[in-house]
Amino acid sequence: MSRLQAEHLYKVFGRRPEAAVERLRQGADRDELRADGTTAAVIDASFTVEPGQIFVVMGLSGSGKSTLLRMLNGLLEPTAGQVRFDGQDLTALSARELREVRSRKISMVFQHFALFPHRSVLDNAAYGLEVQGVPRAEREKRATEALELAGLKGWEQSWPDQLSGGMQQRVGLARALATDADLLLMDESFSALDPLIRRDMQDQLLELQKRLKKTIVFITHDLNEAMRLGDRIAVMRDGRIVQIGTAEDILVTPANDYVAAFTQDVDRSRVLTAGAIMADPETAYGTKTPEGRELRTAQDVLDAAPATVSADTPIIELFTPCSTSGVAVAVTDADGKLVGVVPRARLLAVLGEPMTPADQQQDAAGVPAPAQAAPAQAADDAASSGDEAEGKVIAGA
Amino acid sequence: MPRIHLGDWVNDGVDWLVNHMAWLFDAIKAVVDGMYDGINAVLSAPEPLLLVGILAVIAWWLRGLVPGVLTFAGFALIDSLELWDDAMSTLSLVLVATIIALVISVPVGIWAARSNTVSALVRPVLDLMQTMPAMVYLIPAILFFGMGVPSGIVATLIFALAPGVRMTELGIRQVDKELVEAADAFGTTPRNTLLRVQLPLALPTIMAGVNQVIMLGLSMVVIAGMVGTGGLGGAVNEAIGNLDVGLGFEAGIAIVILAIYLDRMTGALGRQLSPLGRRTAAKARAAVGGLKIFSHRLRPTVAVVGVVVLALVAGGMGVFGSAPASDTASASTDVGKGKQVDIGYIPWDEGIASTYLWQEILEQRGFEVDTKQYAAGPLYTGLAQGQIDFQTDSWLPTTHAEYWKKYGNKLDDLGQWYGPTSLELTVPSYMKGIDSLEDLKGKGSEFKGKIIGIEPSAGMMGMLKDTVLKEYGLEGEYEVVDGSTPAMLAELKRAYAKKEPIVVTLWSPHWAYSDYDLKKLKDPKGAWGEGDDVHTIARKGFASENPEVAKWLKNFKMTEEQLTGLEAQIQKSGKGKEQEAVQTWLKKNPGLVDKWAPVAKSAKGAKGQGEAARTLNVAWFPWEEDIAITYLWKHVLEDRGYTMNLKQFAVGPMYTALSQGELDVQFDGWLPYTQKSYWDKYGDDLSDLGSWYGPTSLELAVPSYVKDVKSLEDLKGKGDTFNGKIIGIEPGTGTMNLLKSKVLPGYGLDKEYEVVDGSTPGMLAELKRAYAKKEPIAVMLWTPHWAYSEYDLTKLKDDKGLFGKGDTIRTIASKAFPEQYPQLTKWIKGFKMSEEELAGLENEIKKRGKGQEEEAVAAWVKENPGIEERMAPR
Repeated sequence: MSRLQAEHLYKVFGRRPEAAVERLRQGADRDELRADGTTAAVIDASFTVEPGQIFVVMGLSGSGKSTLLRMLNGLLEPTAGQVRFDGQDLTALSARELREVRSRKISMVFQHFALFPHRSVLDNAAYGLEVQGVPRAEREKRATEALELAGLKGWEQSWPDQLSGGMQQRVGLARALATDADLLLMDESFSALDPLIRRDMQDQLLELQKRLKKTIVFITHDLNEAMRLGDRIAVMRDGRIVQIGTAEDILVTPANDYVAAFTQDVDRSRVLTAGAIMADPETAYGTKTPEGRELRTAQDVLDAAPATVSADTPIIELFTPCSTSGVAVAVTDADGKLVGVVPRARLLAVLGEPMTPADQQQDAAGVPAPAQAAPAQAADDAASSGDEAEGKVIAGA
Repeated sequence: MPRIHLGDWVNDGVDWLVNHMAWLFDAIKAVVDGMYDGINAVLSAPEPLLLVGILAVIAWWLRGLVPGVLTFAGFALIDSLELWDDAMSTLSLVLVATIIALVISVPVGIWAARSNTVSALVRPVLDLMQTMPAMVYLIPAILFFGMGVPSGIVATLIFALAPGVRMTELGIRQVDKELVEAADAFGTTPRNTLLRVQLPLALPTIMAGVNQVIMLGLSMVVIAGMVGTGGLGGAVNEAIGNLDVGLGFEAGIAIVILAIYLDRMTGALGRQLSPLGRRTAAKARAAVGGLKIFSHRLRPTVAVVGVVVLALVAGGMGVFGSAPASDTASASTDVGKGKQVDIGYIPWDEGIASTYLWQEILEQRGFEVDTKQYAAGPLYTGLAQGQIDFQTDSWLPTTHAEYWKKYGNKLDDLGQWYGPTSLELTVPSYMKGIDSLEDLKGKGSEFKGKIIGIEPSAGMMGMLKDTVLKEYGLEGEYEVVDGSTPAMLAELKRAYAKKEPIVVTLWSPHWAYSDYDLKKLKDPKGAWGEGDDVHTIARKGFASENPEVAKWLKNFKMTEEQLTGLEAQIQKSGKGKEQEAVQTWLKKNPGLVDKWAPVAKSAKGAKGQGEAARTLNVAWFPWEEDIAITYLWKHVLEDRGYTMNLKQFAVGPMYTALSQGELDVQFDGWLPYTQKSYWDKYGDDLSDLGSWYGPTSLELAVPSYVKDVKSLEDLKGKGDTFNGKIIGIEPGTGTMNLLKSKVLPGYGLDKEYEVVDGSTPGMLAELKRAYAKKEPIAVMLWTPHWAYSEYDLTKLKDDKGLFGKGDTIRTIASKAFPEQYPQLTKWIKGFKMSEEELAGLENEIKKRGKGQEEEAVAAWVKENPGIEERMAPR
C-alpha cells in the first residue's frame, strides 16, 4: 500500500471556494477565477508516494507547491479532495486528531528553519517530543541522538543565533527526525543555503535516507536538486501537476514544452546515468577497435571498452574514457555481466535538446534511447538555445 | 444645526448606571479597595529605610551596583522629605492600577491579536480611553465609586490600559509566522502555541507595554489626587492649592524618583523574564569590558535571600514598632467613642482654619477625624455621595450657588458660622488714584485690559462678567482672564514684586490682604450684591446619625477676630503643623471647646436644656400625616436644642416598644377606633398626650366642579354622570367594607354604583387624571389627606352618619414621658393643627419627594410663620 495518497486535491482561497472548485472541474482556468477575486492555488492534484521514497514536488514560486505540501499534514484544509496517509483520510479528522497525527507521524522542515529563538538547540530538537508529552530525560536523550544524526554533536547547549545557516537547518532536520515520524515534509528546506552547503545537506539527506528509510515529500524550485534527490518528481505549473516521473523521465521525455523548457538548463551530464542512456550490448557487436579488431561477444566488448561502469554512474564520468577511444563504454551489473554499452555518438546526442513528444512516437524500440532520433548536431546548439528556453520558463511563471 | 443632546444622553446613562448597577460598582470598589489596602499595608509596615534597602537590593540584582546605590539614595531622599507615606500610598495605587490593567489588557491584547474583528473594535475604544481628558472621567468615577482611592485607581486604570492592550497585540502579531506554523506543524495546541511560542517571543514587547502602563499610571496618579486619593498626587494638589512651590517641587521630585525606579526596574525585569532578553543581555555584557564592579549584579538567589532577610527584619520592626496610639478623649467627654468623621475642605484659609479647629474639637470629644483636601467640585460630589461627612467652607448663596443647585437636595445646611464675606476686585495699594470700580474706567491700557480672574466655574466669575463689568461700563475695555486661584495669586505675587499694575478678583477674608498691601475697590453701586456667608454643609443623614455633632456645628459661630487670629496662628506655624497651631490657639482662648461642643452634664443647666440633652426616640410609620407631624416636630424641637432619633415601625411593634419604654413618643395614634385594640392592650403603660388633630373622617369626595353633588344623597340618580362607578382603594380594608356593606345600601346607591377595587395610589392617579380633564369622578377618601389641598374637592355630607364617628389623632408617649420631658409634654399637649395646615404640609412633602422631608418642613414653616412659637413657646 502507498504511504501517502493525494486524490484530486483542490485548494482555492477567497470567497465561495466550493463554487470555484466546481468551475475548475468544468474546465475554467486559473485566470478566470482570479478575475473574480479567488485564487486557485492547487488544482486537481493526485499522486502517490511509496514508503521509503523521496517524492519531490518541483515548480516555480506561485505554482502551488507549498500549498500542496501544507494540505498533506492538514495545516491547510483542502477545498476538495482527499489525503490518505497509511490509508487514513486526513481530511476527515477532527482538529484534535489531526494534531495528534502531526505530532507523532508527520514532521516538517521549513525553508527559513523556523527555529525557536528562545530555546536552546537541544530544546529546539526536543520540541516535537515535548508536544507529545515525552518526559524530559527521555526527550533530551532522543533529541541528542537526532542532533548527532544531523551532525551537530556537541552543539546541544548553543542557541540558534550562534549557528550558521546550514547548522540551523541541521537543527531543523534533527527536530523533524527526533519525533520518529514516518513522513517528512520538507518545504524548500535547502533553498536558503549557500550552494556548497546546500550540496552538503543534500548528500547528508541521501546518506540519512539510506539508513532511516523515511518517506519524504520534498519541495523545491531547483531542478538540479529535484533530480539529485527525487526518486520521483512531480512538476507543478499554475497549480496543476503537469508531469510525474523519475528524473530521467522528465529529462528525457518531458510531458510538454513547459517541462522541456524547464529542464533546459539542467546539467544532464550529472543527472543522467549510464543505465539511462545505454544501448543494448548487441549494438556494439560488429564495431571495430582502433586496431581494427571486430567485437563479436560480450567478452570482446568488455575487453576493448575504455572503461567499465555501473548503471548508476553519472554520464559525466563517461566523457574522459570516450574521448580516448572510439569503442563504446561498457555498462555492467553488480556481477560484472555486460548489460549495455554507451558509444561516443550516443553520449553527445543526449546532451542536446530533449525529444519532443512527436519525436518519441518514432521511437519504435521502446527503450529510452534518445540517441536514435536526436540529431547529433543538436549538442552544438545546446548552449545558445538554453538562454531562450530559460526566457520562456520565466515568462511562464 | 439641530442640537444633538449627547451630553444629556451621557448624563442619563451615568444616572442609570448609578441607580441600577450600584452592586457592580460596589463589588469593584471592594476589590480595588482590598487590593490597595493590602499592598499599602505591606509597603508602609516596615521602617522606611529597611524598605529602601529592599528596593535597593532589587535594583542591584536587576540592574547592577550603581543603580542599587542610586535607588537607596533616591528613596532615602523621599523619606527625608517626609513624603514616605505619601510615596508608598502612591506606589500602592500605581501597583494596584497596573496589576488590574495587566489582568485586563493582556487577555484583551491576546484576543485582539487573534481576531481582526476584536482588534478593529478595540482600537477606537482604546483611542477614546487614552485621549479623553482625564478630568472628564474622574467625575463619573466619583459618582460610581465615591471619593478616594477606588475612583483614582479606576481613572488611572482607564488611562493606562491602552498601551498594555496595544503592545500585547503588537508583540503577538509580530512573532514570525513561520514559527507559529512550525509549532502548528508539530501538533501544538493553540493554547500551547500561545504559551510556549507567542507569549515568550512577545514578552519583550509586552514588558515595554507594562512599562508604559506604569508610567502613564504615575502621571495619572497626580491628577487622581484631585479626587482624594491622597499620596503624592494629593501633596501636589495641596501644594498647588496653597501656591506652595517648594512643597510642590518636593512632591514632584518624589514622583520622579518613583517613576525612574519603576521604569528601570520593569525594563530590567522584562529582560530577566524573557529568555531572548537574557540572551541579549548576556551578549552585551560579554562585549563590554571595563570595571566589572560597577556592573556587578547579584545572582538571583543572593538577591532573593537579601530581600527576604530585609523583609523579615522589616516585618519584625513593623510589628514591634507600632505602639497603640494613646486615647486623647477622657471618658467623660468621650462623645464619639472612636466614631469616624470625615471632613473635607477646600484649601482656602478659612476652610483650613475651621476644618483643623473642628478636627481638634472632635478629637477631644472622642471622634476619629480624617481630613482631606479637595477641589470644590469633587468636595460637593463627595458630600452628596456620602463619602465626606461635612465641610465647613461653603460660600452661599452666591459663590457655591452652582454646586448647591446641583447637590443641595442631597446635603444638609448646618447653618452659617461666619459672615458676611465680600467679593471684590482688588489692586495693590501702590496703584494710586484707583479706589473704586468706577476708577477703573479708562485705565484699561494701564492694566493691559486684563482682570486676572480665578476658576471660570466659580460663581464670582459669572457675577463679574455678567453684572459687575456691565454695571460700571467696563466690558469691552477689560477682559477677564480665566485661570485658577493659585494662578491668580501667583500673578499677583509676580506683579506685586515688580510693582506692576494689576487688578485681580479677590474676596474677604483672604490671607492675601495680610501678605500684601492691597486695596479693595469700592463698589458704590452694590453690583457685587450682598456677601456670602460661610456655611457648614453636611451630607444627608449625618445630622441624624451624629445628632450631637450636628447640634454643635449648627450652633458654631466665629467672629472675624477669632477667625483671623486662628488663621494667623496657622500661617505662623507653617505647613503640616495646622493642628498644633489650632491647639496653641485654643490654649490662648480657653473655654471655646466647651462653648462650641458642650457636653451634657446631668442635673445641671436649665430645665429645658436638661431634658433636651437626652435623645428623643420617636417612632413613625409611613402614613402621610405621620411623616408630616413627625418631621415638623423634629424641625421645631431640634431648633430648641433637642436631638431626635427617628425610627420607622409597624403599628404593633411600635405600641409594644412604647409600653416598654424603649421608645419615647409617637404622634399618630388614631383613637378611639382604629388603634383601639392596641390601646386596650397597652394603654395602662402609655401616656396619652392629647389630640393634635381631629376629628378625622371617612367620606366620598367629588371634585367641586361637579355641581349639585354636595351630599351622599345627591348621588342618587346621577349614576350616569359618574359612569356608575365609585373609585375605591384596597379591597378588604375596613373603610371599603364599610362603604360597600353599610353606606351605599343605606343611601340606596348599591344598585346604581359599583365600587371599583384598586389601591390608594391607583385611586389618586385616577383622581388626578379625571381632575385634569374636568371629568366627573367620585372617590373614596379620608380626612386628613393632602388631596384636599392639592385639588378643589367636595366632601359629600353623610347626613345619616353611616361612616360613623371619626377618630382623633393623638400623641402617644411612654409612661415615664411626662416626668422625663415636662416641657415637651406641655408643648405637645398645647399644639393643635388645622386640616388646612396639615394638608398643606403633606402636600409640600409629597411635592418634594422621598428623602426631602426636612426641606419640605423647613419650607412650609417659612410659609407659615409663627408655627414654631405655637408649638414650642419660649
